[in-house]
Amino acid sequence: MSHWMFNCKAVSKKVSESMDRLLPLHQRMMITAHLWMCKYCNRFRSQLLILRNAIRLEALPGCDADRASCLPKDTGNRIREAMRDLIG
Amino acid sequence: MRRNRPAVSSHIDDPAGWVDHYGDLLYRFALSRVEDPSVAEDLVQETFLAALKARQNFQGRSTARTWLIAILKHKIVDHIRKRVREHISDKVESLSDAAANDPVDGNFKDDGGWRHRPSKWAVNPMKLYEQKEFMDVLYRCLAVLPERQAEVFMMREIDGSSTEEICKALNISATNSWVMLYRARVWLRQCIENNWLDTDSRRSDYVTLDV
Repeated sequence: MSHWMFNCKAVSKKVSESMDRLLPLHQRMMITAHLWMCKYCNRFRSQLLILRNAIRLEALPGCDADRASCLPKDTGNRIREAMRDLIG
Repeated sequence: MRRNRPAVSSHIDDPAGWVDHYGDLLYRFALSRVEDPSVAEDLVQETFLAALKARQNFQGRSTARTWLIAILKHKIVDHIRKRVREHISDKVESLSDAAANDPVDGNFKDDGGWRHRPSKWAVNPMKLYEQKEFMDVLYRCLAVLPERQAEVFMMREIDGSSTEEICKALNISATNSWVMLYRARVWLRQCIENNWLDTDSRRSDYVTLDV
């Protein structure tokens, strides 16, 4: 079991799984040990986390100064009209 | 806590005020994902209309803002998927061939070691949004992620659904969902690496998938 756990393929799978559920302690320990030794799996893990952060869009760009665009007035009115039509 | 409630529900109960309250927020959000302002405007409109139709389903589980953003995210992803499909209509064959390849097995040797070692990414995780190119590649890859995996992946990463919710919605086992998420992640990671790091393959408008 432990031998099987230590190859990169298995670790990459467990790294992904650890993002979806809490793994049993012994598996977490094996991953940690492997990541400590293996630069590429470590890299794989940080990249998956980058993907997650990028996709979850946690940091809404709504307030950044140089992009403070507003919905054009005409569009706002058009949308209000469409919504009124929909409600009937 | 309690004090916030009436304000939230009153915004939701008052569709006429939505555009005033959330129009700019949604527009900026859309604009940061799609370049074209007129597309962003359309997406905002679609979002409000979809929200209007579905407002009975909003049960105060989240704030109105979160709810509207969630709808908008789906609209954005739909839009990008559609756009990419149009662009690559003549490449579909090679794409589905590539998608049929197993990204997981392709990445590893028989003994379980890396065949294609992950390359270093020149990206600052704290400033992903400033790296438009990275986000652009990410969205393009997301758009051609095989359908079934994309569904699970988006539920998990965009909606933040739990394993339980995913299993219930798609009628699959927990193990199955983790395997699909794993494949989706490996696939996306590889797609980004191929298209973002390799400058030679970046010039074209479609996503190459020589995994």
